[in-house]
Amino acid sequence: MSVAVHETHSPSDNGQEHRDLENQGRGKQTDAAVPLLELRDISKEFPGVKALDSVSFSVWPGEVHMLLGENGAGKSSLMKVLCGAYRADSGEFYYKGEKAVIASAADAQRLGIAVIFQEFSLVPYLDIAQNIFLGREPAGRLPGTIDRRRILRDAKKILDSIGFDIDPSIKVDRLGVAQQQMVEIAKAISQNARILVMDEPTAALSDRETELLFALIARLKADGVAVIYISHRLAEVFAIGDRITVLRDGRRIGEVRPADATPDQLVRMMVGRNIDLSYPRNFAKAPGKLLLEVKGLSAASGISDIDVVVRQGEIVGLCGLIGSGRTELARAIFGADTITAGEVIFDGQRMNAGPDQAARRGIALIPENRKSEGLALLRSAGDNLVVAALRKLFPTGLFEPPRAFATANDLIQRLRIATPSPRQPVGLLSGGNQQKIVIGKWLAAGAKLFIFDEPTRGIDVGAKSEIFALIDRLVADGAAALMISSEQAEICHVCDRAYVMREGRIAGELSRHELTEENIVRLGMHHA
Amino acid sequence: MTDMTKPVVAPPGSLVSGDLMQLLYRLSAALLICIILSLLNDSFLSLGNILNVLRQASLLFFIASGLTLVVLTAGLDLSVGANVALSACLAGTVIQHTGSPLLGILTGLLAGGIVGLLNGVMVTALRIPSFIATYGMLWVLNGLTYWYMAGETIHGFPPGFRQIGSGYLLGLPIPVYLLLIFLAIGTAFAQRTIWGQEIYAVGANPVAARLSGIPVSRRLLLVYCVSGTMAGLASIIFLARLNSAEADIGESLTLPAIAAVLIGGTSLFGGVGTVFGTFIGALILTLVLNGMNLLSVNANWQPFITGVIVIVAVWLDMTTRRHKL
Amino acid sequence: MRESAAASPLRRIPGVAVMLALLVGIFGTIAPGFLSPANISNVLLQSTILTMLALPMTLIIMTEGLDLSMGAVVTLTSLAVAIVSLATGSMLLGLAAAIVVGTAFGALNGWLVAIAGIPPFVATLGTLGMAQGLCLIVSDGQSVVGIPRAVRDIYSATLAGLPVPVVVALIAYAAFHVLLYHTRFGTYIFALGGNREALRYAGLSPAKWLIGVYTIGGLMAGIAGLLMTARMNAGHPTAGLGLEFDAIAAVAVGGTSFERGNGWLFGTVLGVIAVGVLRNGLNLLALPSSLQVASVGFLVIVALFLDGLRSRS
Repeated sequence: MSVAVHETHSPSDNGQEHRDLENQGRGKQTDAAVPLLELRDISKEFPGVKALDSVSFSVWPGEVHMLLGENGAGKSSLMKVLCGAYRADSGEFYYKGEKAVIASAADAQRLGIAVIFQEFSLVPYLDIAQNIFLGREPAGRLPGTIDRRRILRDAKKILDSIGFDIDPSIKVDRLGVAQQQMVEIAKAISQNARILVMDEPTAALSDRETELLFALIARLKADGVAVIYISHRLAEVFAIGDRITVLRDGRRIGEVRPADATPDQLVRMMVGRNIDLSYPRNFAKAPGKLLLEVKGLSAASGISDIDVVVRQGEIVGLCGLIGSGRTELARAIFGADTITAGEVIFDGQRMNAGPDQAARRGIALIPENRKSEGLALLRSAGDNLVVAALRKLFPTGLFEPPRAFATANDLIQRLRIATPSPRQPVGLLSGGNQQKIVIGKWLAAGAKLFIFDEPTRGIDVGAKSEIFALIDRLVADGAAALMISSEQAEICHVCDRAYVMREGRIAGELSRHELTEENIVRLGMHHA
Repeated sequence: MTDMTKPVVAPPGSLVSGDLMQLLYRLSAALLICIILSLLNDSFLSLGNILNVLRQASLLFFIASGLTLVVLTAGLDLSVGANVALSACLAGTVIQHTGSPLLGILTGLLAGGIVGLLNGVMVTALRIPSFIATYGMLWVLNGLTYWYMAGETIHGFPPGFRQIGSGYLLGLPIPVYLLLIFLAIGTAFAQRTIWGQEIYAVGANPVAARLSGIPVSRRLLLVYCVSGTMAGLASIIFLARLNSAEADIGESLTLPAIAAVLIGGTSLFGGVGTVFGTFIGALILTLVLNGMNLLSVNANWQPFITGVIVIVAVWLDMTTRRHKL
Repeated sequence: MRESAAASPLRRIPGVAVMLALLVGIFGTIAPGFLSPANISNVLLQSTILTMLALPMTLIIMTEGLDLSMGAVVTLTSLAVAIVSLATGSMLLGLAAAIVVGTAFGALNGWLVAIAGIPPFVATLGTLGMAQGLCLIVSDGQSVVGIPRAVRDIYSATLAGLPVPVVVALIAYAAFHVLLYHTRFGTYIFALGGNREALRYAGLSPAKWLIGVYTIGGLMAGIAGLLMTARMNAGHPTAGLGLEFDAIAAVAVGGTSFERGNGWLFGTVLGVIAVGVLRNGLNLLALPSSLQVASVGFLVIVALFLDGLRSRS
């Protein structure tokens, strides 16, 4: 089976090949010779991170173009560039073959681009009509007033055109999520959108509502409207997608047609293989004593009936697709979210309080969003390193800066954290070094169970190996690790065994010899 | 109102840390004001005036020091002025009825502390934003104080007690010694105890603080209690200084206290600031107001100037933290 | 699912109306003379000034803001009316002065919040100090008396059988109703509090509308200043201090949320009357005004707590 996949990120070196593929992949409704919208080498950079790196991408009328990628891949940046909220640093836009500029919301609107974000841009206490026509209200008799009758009438017309039968004077906060989404779509249609960008549209919908949405998308397709559909639900991708583009780390990894690809392939494209697998991993010969026991755990955050064990000396993987409940499980174990059923037993003791109890007893959480949840960016590296170990280092309550400094220095040496001094504000360090500080924080606290949530996301290859070597040393010294990761190759290489989650539950457990990428994907797939 | 992605300012390349530089700037500003005032008016440098400034600054500092801790957690306590008034009136009553200054002092501290505790409960357990909760408390306290005093004044306290506010020791007013003591205690608490470190962590990023095992609610409760207790302490000094207690003594205290905290470099958004900075802020504000007095500027201008200073101080705080994107 | 929009405010009527009914019931029973026509009309008359402040405060709170300076500003504008009308002999010039001063402070507040980006409660706390200071400066701490008869007459005059202040309040309410529910400005106020990003995505700038909201607040404070001077027949340097608190209380009790961009004008009016009834009733029970203030404070805390509960459910 040949798969037309482009593993490319150098600027326009394969223009003709690219276009040939496009001609193969576009939807059947078009006889246009030129794409509706084309992006060439669009880049967007923020201090410290390249959100979009020379992304090229095109959309044809009447096609459903799937955009796949994990968190941080650049999907939301791409959306924001498309709707004019961000201005691209470099690259070009072509609308129907002609060069165009998208520098503001007005520009995007003029080109007929409408974006429907996951967090809707609806105003809760205004009614449907007002939301649809926000900023474009029909004028009433007195200057500044709104013609209520006309706005309701016009809104009803739009709603009818997409098959949504509802009274437009209802306030939006009374609507369910699916209905609010319809309002968003109506809003886009009312702006004569010819390109609709939808961000995870089915995330909060029931199966029935999803069907209705797909029917609506089919209608839009028939009208020649193009839909850029962002999702990580592979089943949908294969159900309604005409073409699939995969993003990773801000780069366009490749483009395929659903008929030519397998889910496994897509996952691999999304997650990538650029890791150094040469570091040694000393697997535990025999499992140590039981450290963590989770029985029947359920939480309001969306996990149910979880049974998990972790022993000393092990690295246990926690896999599953985005939204399967891995982070929620991690937080529930750490006490950050309230438990509704079941129990967590750590080192023989029942855990029944919040994160302060967990930290005190030796559980560590290294969160996925290290900047917003793992570090105080304003404070120094030293401050961040000792913040969880204060009671341990200073049992009398008196804080001695020299000792804190020395402890921080020691950790900086041991972990090889690249910082000019412990006084450096943590916000100025690189991602890899920031992550080391978060880990170092828990080392200082003497943690025995380390829960990692995507420990190597957003970290360069060199730092990744260092972090794995570090985790290896930790468990060799008697600690245990529970590692959430979307990079299946890493899990397979590093973990003693792994649990796979699906829709808030444990779908299965894989022992060392069962631990293969295929098995992980098989257990974790969202079955349609 | 803590912004998780607060911009980070690069540290200066000098030997001295960023915080210390900020304090030095402010100290030099204070010095500059002194120089200007001494040039503009002969009586500025007179002993009487200097001691007066020091004493005024101390009174302001007592209130502002506790408030500093609250602001460090990105909160605000608008009830401090009213707290001082109520605590003073209660303490004054106790002294008059029992003749014991000690009981009065304890009453004042206790009253202040209880108010602080109530504020803390509203913020942590009831989850009411601090500025609204303390604003409501302000009016409750105001009302209670006026009702309790029923328009009367309490005066005439034992001379020994009055020494606390009006007495001198080795030529310096006693409040100044108290200032130094509490400056030391406050600085020690903030910089040299683990609770102080945790308070800074909570202010810098409450979510990360919680996920690092810091009991955030308990620390918030603590800072509001301290703020209230310091207001109670201030009420005692006021009582001793004014030798009287009236319902309205708290009216003009809150705004200057906030101004002192802000001028001192403590950020409204949390995580940045020092007690020593607040001391300098109190000094600067007192110098400005003192200068206005010496230059015979109508005293009625003081609230106006204080209001302007608060706005300017916040604006400066925000612009120095603004991300250059 | 088809529902009518009318269900929305009906859901809220229970809250403040129940409170109002309870207060009226309680005071009607235990407070002497509470239910007399003279007293009731007095309460309504007294409520007019607060209404003028609570209406714009509703809008400001809907944008997740607050205006702590309103009480001081209305005191200042009241002094402006007194001083200018005394100096020129013209009530209208006095009103003009009040409106200019009030609008200026409103615009200043709006600028500080929208352009300088200073959090509203700090910005208006600062302008509170400024306004308070100016009150003392222009009056030198003294009341301003001997103002033209024309000013005083405003309070006692009637128009179509209703006292002028009540007519003014009714017109103000009508104007705000149209403003909030029938104009673009009103629509954008909902958006400023409910989803500010939505405005930006629609290509609008929140700053312009935010400044407008605070400026309207200042304007209303100007008009309220005239009513206040008319009522007192003098200008007093501290008369209106603390009115912002009653206004905030009225808005909170009336059901407008501090966090979600939801506002109910009629609820605010009911809230104003509730606060007025509370004070009046406590007054008749010979409770000193100080304790009344404490009660209102307590009422606000309860209302806020309940609002917090509602938004988290």
